[in-house]
Amino acid sequence: MALVGNLRDFALADFLYLIDRGYKTGSLQLNRQSAAATLYFEKGKLLYAAQAQERESLGEMLQRTGKLTPQQVQQAVQLQQTDGNQSLGTVLVEHDLITREDLQRHIQTHIEETVYSLFGWPDGEFCFNAGVKLDRDDVQSPVPLGVENLIMEGVRRVDEWGRIKDHIPNTDMIARFVDQPLEKAKSINLTPDEWRIFARINGKDSIKEVISRTGLSEFDVSRIVYGFISAGLVEVTRPRPPVPATGRAGAGAAAGAPKRSLVSRIINRIRGM
Amino acid sequence: MQTVKMVISGAVNAGKTQFIRAISEIEVVSTERKASDDTKLLKGETTVAMDFGRITISDDLVLHLFGTPGQKRFDFMWEILSEGMLGLIVLVDSTRPETFRETNRIIDFFTSQRDAPYVVAANKQDHENAWAPDELRLALRLPAHVKIVPCVATQKDSVKNVLLELLYVIMQRSAD
Ligand SMILES: Nc1nc2c(ncn2[C@@H]2O[C@H](COP(=O)(O)OP(=O)(O)O)[C@@H](O)[C@H]2O)c(=O)[nH]1
Ligand SMILES: [Mg+2]
Repeated sequence: MALVGNLRDFALADFLYLIDRGYKTGSLQLNRQSAAATLYFEKGKLLYAAQAQERESLGEMLQRTGKLTPQQVQQAVQLQQTDGNQSLGTVLVEHDLITREDLQRHIQTHIEETVYSLFGWPDGEFCFNAGVKLDRDDVQSPVPLGVENLIMEGVRRVDEWGRIKDHIPNTDMIARFVDQPLEKAKSINLTPDEWRIFARINGKDSIKEVISRTGLSEFDVSRIVYGFISAGLVEVTRPRPPVPATGRAGAGAAAGAPKRSLVSRIINRIRGM
Repeated sequence: MQTVKMVISGAVNAGKTQFIRAISEIEVVSTERKASDDTKLLKGETTVAMDFGRITISDDLVLHLFGTPGQKRFDFMWEILSEGMLGLIVLVDSTRPETFRETNRIIDFFTSQRDAPYVVAANKQDHENAWAPDELRLALRLPAHVKIVPCVATQKDSVKNVLLELLYVIMQRSAD
């Protein structure tokens, strides 16, 4: 059983929200033209992400960031070959070429950057296989990452109106906090502009009003609210529907609720079918 | 004779026709667009894929089921259909995320019109790659108070169950 689709129709931010709220474990495979990436999740958190054709190896990355000298990398690669099937990370840590914490921090950054770059994909096939677990190497696997910050940062890089419009079709919509955002909100890092908007969300003012109060552009406000929505902090609702004209015979529930007896007659009939 | 209506909406191929066919006591009246109708479309004659089914409740009460596409250009249908409507079922093809956006537009359009009871039916649950109701709730961002009911429109019992779930929502809002 797999969840399949295209990022064009169901954005990465939406998928991460599903993972987070659905407390999912599994692997998400993404393919676009010749590019491919795999993300592993455990209980709603990101464990690992990698592009199929990584631009650089772990050794190269540590070398580029000045953590290791070319000689140290070479030494580690040789040790790795003699040690058999140990990962480079394990070898580096075991031979004190890098601390475990340093290594994990680097891998974590790399994972985050990988995910951010995926937010730039306008389309791409996705396939989520529930239950698939990362065959993990304890040294190299960093702490599971909460996805809310990934979503916020990823969405900061989104510049497609279309995606935003999916969630905020117009500026008459009203933003309000979801029922229990507090636990999550604590762990989210916001930019000053995001804070300005966050603080104005009250479940009463329309996005339009928020725009005029903050003096930010419609696009910026919408994108920021889209980020909050994607991270599951906020939801948008329409203003209350117009009260239907009264006096129209049986014009829908709002204009006059149906009689209990009528509903129970229908229920009984359908039960008996 | 009193007539009440339920409306079944959803994106193209969600299973509206199938759903009504599974439960209607009359042959479903469908105005499907056939392949041969494409020429009409090209000539600008719009056809509306509508379905109509019926369930007799008693001598003096009959339930009409209307299947209607959710496309914007059929907005005019809503005005007509929502007269005397008890509630709405929004069908979603659980295997096709490319229709989730359209499904949301339908829900959105509907809820912006009136505050009437509705449930979402996660159809085609018999498919291997069907998204589960819980997953669809997250994907569609349905508020917690909206029911999402698993559905296989080809099975009468499943269709009955969806109708009953909607009726329970209607019941909660009914008057003495
Ligand atoms: N396997 C399966 N197929 C279904 C189900 N519901 C509908 N279908 C099929 O999906 C296709 C579209 O259904 P239809 O009722 O014509 O969709 P409509 O466009 O919403 O009226 C048809 O081939 C149906 O037989 C279901 O629950 N399971
Ligand atoms: Mg049909």
